[in-house]
Amino acid sequence: MIIGLQLLAIVFALIMIYFAYLHFMRGELSKSEIISWWGIWVVTIVITIFPDLLSGFAKTISINRVFDLMVVGGFILVIVLSYKAYIGTKKLEHKINEFIRKESIKDTRNGRKS
Amino acid sequence: MKIAIVLPVYNEEKKIDEVLSAFEKIKFPIFLVNDGSTDNTLQIIRKHIQNKKNISLISHRINLGKGSAMRTGAEAAFKSSFESVIFMDSDGQHDPNDLAKFVEKLTTGSYDIVLGSRNLDHGVPLIRFLGNKLASVLISILYGIYVSDILSGFRAITKEGFNKLKLESAGYGVETEIIVKIAKYKLRSCEIPVRTIYHDNNKGVTILDSIGILLDVFRWKIYL
Repeated sequence: MIIGLQLLAIVFALIMIYFAYLHFMRGELSKSEIISWWGIWVVTIVITIFPDLLSGFAKTISINRVFDLMVVGGFILVIVLSYKAYIGTKKLEHKINEFIRKESIKDTRNGRKS
Repeated sequence: MKIAIVLPVYNEEKKIDEVLSAFEKIKFPIFLVNDGSTDNTLQIIRKHIQNKKNISLISHRINLGKGSAMRTGAEAAFKSSFESVIFMDSDGQHDPNDLAKFVEKLTTGSYDIVLGSRNLDHGVPLIRFLGNKLASVLISILYGIYVSDILSGFRAITKEGFNKLKLESAGYGVETEIIVKIAKYKLRSCEIPVRTIYHDNNKGVTILDSIGILLDVFRWKIYL
């Protein structure tokens, strides 16, 4: 029988699948990205409905409950994504910085022109 | 030796006219870098520099930070075949009469970088005095170079020295980065005393900036 927490997780995963689809339709996600995201959320739904699928793996890494395993997995995913976002932001910041600086040097004006 | 002044400017509408007027007596070529000011600074500069051939204006479309503005100004100056640049702050805290001391040191050819050191015993807010001294001691312990005024924005650098530094800091960390890289790359440097007048305690390096700079000091120790 599905309990409230499982239901909440399934609804959340379905909403995220919809959001991924929306962003894909707007051209903000590529095909490979939407496949990855859908994959993550479909796996989440399957594990939420059939938690015993992972119980064997959880025991081998000394985690008693599948729920704990999913919390740990969620944390790892969040940390990886945050790091990726941080690096992406830094790269973008650097590119914007260099672009603005180079453009401004091209437009240097002296007292006669300004 | 062809020397230009680089003046990064950000939101200095109250002071910039006075600062530029102070430079009129000294006929140095100036590269003014407006770092995306959101007040009337740019309009005031434009009005002031009309028909002044020795002043070049470079304007960032958005605010990038002091480090970026300094790099832009220096790159523009070196592109215009200047051999050295002298950085100054645009809030009027530096005295243009001190420029001669920098020129004297640069023309000896013995230094890549000349650092202006403010007399921190007079007129400097206590928190800045303590922060500055703490930074000097920390840099001295980590990098083996003692500079009495780490955060002074009044400093000169040759083209060769600038190219060796490969500055990365976009913000206020640039001054500390220069000191750290002087030590790391063994550049020839010296300190000279400069006069300073403090006008605005609310501008400049904030506590958050200081924490960021502190983290960078440790990061550079590992990665440089």
